[in-house]
Parts: sequence; C-alpha cells; structure tokens
Amino acid sequence: MLLEAGQLTMAFGAFKAVDNASVAVNEGEVLGLIGPNGAGKSTFFNCLTGDLRPTSGTVRFADRDVTRLAPEERARLGIARTFQVPLTFESMSVLDNVMIGAFLRHHAAAAARDKALQVIGEVGLGGVAEASAKSLGTPGRKRLEIARALASEPKVLLLDEAMAGLTPAEIRAAIDLVRQIHGRGITLVIVEHIMEVIVSLADRVVVFHQGREIARGTPTEVTRNELVIEAYLGKRHAAKLSGGAA
Amino acid sequence: MMRRALPLLLSGALALLYPLLVSGSAVYQRLGALVLLSAIGASAWNLIGGYAGQVSVGHAVFFGAGAYAALAGYAQFALPPIAGAPIGVAVAILIAALIGVPTLRLSGHYFSMATIAVAELVRVLVTNWEWLGGAQGISGPAVARTVLDLSFTSAVPYYYIFLAVLAAILFITWRIEKSRMGFYLRAIKDSERAARSLGVAAGRYKLYAYMLSAGLTAVAGALYAIMFGFIDPESGCGILISVKMLIMAALGGAGLLFGPLVGALILVPLEEISNSLLGGKGAGLTFVVYGAIIVVIARFLPSGLLALFTGRMRPARKPAATEPSHAA
Repeated sequence: MLLEAGQLTMAFGAFKAVDNASVAVNEGEVLGLIGPNGAGKSTFFNCLTGDLRPTSGTVRFADRDVTRLAPEERARLGIARTFQVPLTFESMSVLDNVMIGAFLRHHAAAAARDKALQVIGEVGLGGVAEASAKSLGTPGRKRLEIARALASEPKVLLLDEAMAGLTPAEIRAAIDLVRQIHGRGITLVIVEHIMEVIVSLADRVVVFHQGREIARGTPTEVTRNELVIEAYLGKRHAAKLSGGAA
Repeated sequence: MMRRALPLLLSGALALLYPLLVSGSAVYQRLGALVLLSAIGASAWNLIGGYAGQVSVGHAVFFGAGAYAALAGYAQFALPPIAGAPIGVAVAILIAALIGVPTLRLSGHYFSMATIAVAELVRVLVTNWEWLGGAQGISGPAVARTVLDLSFTSAVPYYYIFLAVLAAILFITWRIEKSRMGFYLRAIKDSERAARSLGVAAGRYKLYAYMLSAGLTAVAGALYAIMFGFIDPESGCGILISVKMLIMAALGGAGLLFGPLVGALILVPLEEISNSLLGGKGAGLTFVVYGAIIVVIARFLPSGLLALFTGRMRPARKPAATEPSHAA
C-alpha cells in the first residue's frame, strides 16, 4: 500500500463533502476516482495532497501517517499533483516553472536546470522551453503542470482532471503521456470526468457519490454497476437502461 | 551576459565618478548621496515586497530600529552612532521574526494592512518612550569627536559609504535571484498553493526573506541617522518611510534587481525639487503626489519602468482566471 486514506471525513459545517471514505492505492497501479459533479472527488483528492486537513480519519503514505503534514512536506516524501484549473507560475518561462519542481531534489541551479530540461523534453514541451508560461494554451498548461510535478521526482502523481477542456486529439496525446509516465514506475491517481480516459488508463476505479464511495472495481465492472448508472443518470433513466418495463 | 555587462560597467563607472563630475555643487553631491540612501532602503524592501510579492507597508519599523539604535547608542552611552547599527539590525530581524510568523500567513492585502497596523503601533510607542527621546526625538554628535562618528560636512564621504552598501545589497540580491531561494520566492509570488505542492516551504522562505529584508532596511535607517544626526518618530517610523520604499521599488520595477535604484533616481530628485519649490508648506502635498504616482503605476506600469526595457511588461489588464497579483 503506497497511499491510503482511512475512514476519511471532510465536513464543511454540517455538510460532509467526503463521508467516511477508505481508499488504498497500490504501488505501481493507476487508480481512477470518478463520480458526478459534487461527488467529493476533488475534496478527497485535496485531503490526500494536504491542501485540506480532514475533519477525521487518516492519510498514510509509504507506511507513515501524513494526516497532519503540510502539502510541501508531502511533496518532499514523494506526493505530486496537478490542479484542475492550472496554477502555472505566470510571470515565469516554461523552463523556470519546471525548475521550481526540480529544485526539490536538486538544490544547485545548474542541476535543477538540467533536470527540468530533461523533463520538458520528455513531456513534449521542448520547443517552448524558453517561452513565457502565460503564452501557453490550456493543453500546454496542463502539460506544464505535469512536467513541473514530474520534475519533483514523485512516487505518486495525482492528476486532477488533467484532460478537462482538451479536444479529442489532445486527449489521446495526453493519454499517451500518462501511459509513458506510468511506464516509468510512477503510481497514478486520476480524477476524471471523461469515461474514455478512465477506461483506457485505470486498473481500478473507485466511484464517489454524495461524499460516499458507492462502488469499486475494474472500469468495466463499475460502468455496469446499477448504483453507478443511477448516480450518473438518475433512477428513471437507469431503469430504462436496465431493461425498460421490469 | 555580455549585453548586460557593458551598460552595467558604464553605470558603475558613472556612479564612482559622479561626485567628481559635480564637484562644484554641494547640492548635487548631497542629492547623489540621498538617491543612494533611498535606493538602499527600497532595495531592501524589494526582497520581500518585490521578489516574494508580500507587499509590506510597515518597513518603517525596521528603518526606525536601525535609526534609533544608532542615535540611542550615542545619546545614552556616548557610543559612535555606527556602533549602534548592528544592534539595530539585530532588533529589526527579531521584530521581523515576531510579526512575520503571524502576519505572513495572511494573503495579499491583509498582510499589507497588518504591517501598516504594526508600524503605526510602533510609532505611537516610540513617541511615548522617553528613553528614545519621545516626541522630540534624539540627536547625534553635534561635531565629530573622532572619525568613527562619521560626521562630515561634505556629502561626498556619505556618497561613497552609501554606494558601497548599495553595491553589497545588490550583490546579495543578485545571488539570491539566481539561487533556489530566488526561484522559490518568485513561485510564491505567482501561486503559493502551486509552490507548496512542489515542496516549497512557503512560510519558511517568506520569513527568511522578511527577516533579511528587515535587517537590510535597518542598515538604511542607521545610515540615515548617521548622515542627518537626528531622528524623531515621524522621520524614523512614519508611514511615509514605508510608502516611499514601496513606491520607489514599484516605479522602477518590483522584483527586478535594479528596479528600486531606478525608482530612487527618479523620485528623490523630484522630491527635492518639490521641497525647494514649496518650502515648508509642501508637507501635505507630498502625500497627494505619492497617491498620484501610485495610481499611475497601478494603471500603466504594473511591472515598473524597467520592465519596459527587459521585455517583461505585463498587460495592464490581466486576463481572468488567474490568481490575483498583489504587486503594487
């Protein structure tokens, strides 16, 4: 078990965005987190990265309790992330953005620069290394966030809707990139809306609905699960799908 | 690198020769010293306000710590003012640590407001503190007892002392800019959340930058007190001191190595001219002029004058869906 959430609850006042969720991520796998809007995926995700401190429950990483650790301390242990709405460093070049990630393991500027250039090449941003980050479009920014996270040499990478806002062609390119990252032995947790992405990438899927886990299994298993169909489509449509007049 | 080296060498040579070029005019020699002194303060501010984007409007506290330490050492213990300077620096760093821990957690304008509040509090405190001269202030040695008092009638010795100190501060800043800390500070300025997700201990780096900035600002305060030989609550801890540092850095280019110096080169002569034209009546007008400058910078030059030449000019209106910037 590389990353594990135990009975995690995140309440905002009386509202429980995440309600008693226990999810374990195995080393080397690609775990998908899906669910309709407002299911609590992002909140759960932010509890794993340390951006939110859960109301109760624990987060363990590599056999260590990290529930009380700040995001930067978790990054040092090997948890990296991207943001749903990219938070690129706007005043910097693409290279400088990635160097911020590389500085985590390479304290000298020259070494961080070498590491950053290597990662920039790997994710296919080599042509725009010197360009200003704010000159990039959405696909470029998403790629830059992945590069930045990879440069910190993580054990697990959490992608928060890394494909949202991309065209089908860009999605296919992004899927290839994620496969390539996984091929290097980095464990992945992906929050995603797009089923195609989940089906082609995830080994296992956990489905959230209204803050609770409602299903888990392989992508094909969960897409056939009635609770899941109901959560996405509502009861009436779900009944129609499962055979009409029963 | 070569493209930058030549203008730099020429400017350096000009700075070294300036007092000789204006050797006939004590006014211009004094003006040169004042420009450098202001540039020292604004460059010190630049570390936390410019690079890290934490806009302090309370740096007068640190300036005052340096200034008061220099003259209190003389008034109470008959020490040469320069001997008090290290104590002022230490006190400033200590104060920065004390107020930085709670206030640097605040984001954007809230941090600025907290620093104003602390500075005004300190000003009132000093005004009522008899040991520091209270509202009357304290004076330095009227005539130099030894050369250690650094009391000169000509502005030229001050000019060269200030030039050396400014060069040292710019060198420190340049080294930081090229190092991991410089990258981290810029990352914190752009998006603290993203920076932390990449392992940047934002709180710690902001505090380091704040403490370093405070210590160097105290140096500026001590030098001011040594040159003028007098300090009172307004000239030591007044809000104008803080505002001037901020405006100079922002006008020239906050977060740029030479930004504060460029700002000082423009604003200090402007201030001297307006003072001589308006005489004593101009005190209130100074605030009006600074207000106008702030408006112009915010509207037309959000990255400062130097950015026009370095090609790092930001559009005046930033596109939506980015984090609010706190510069100026």
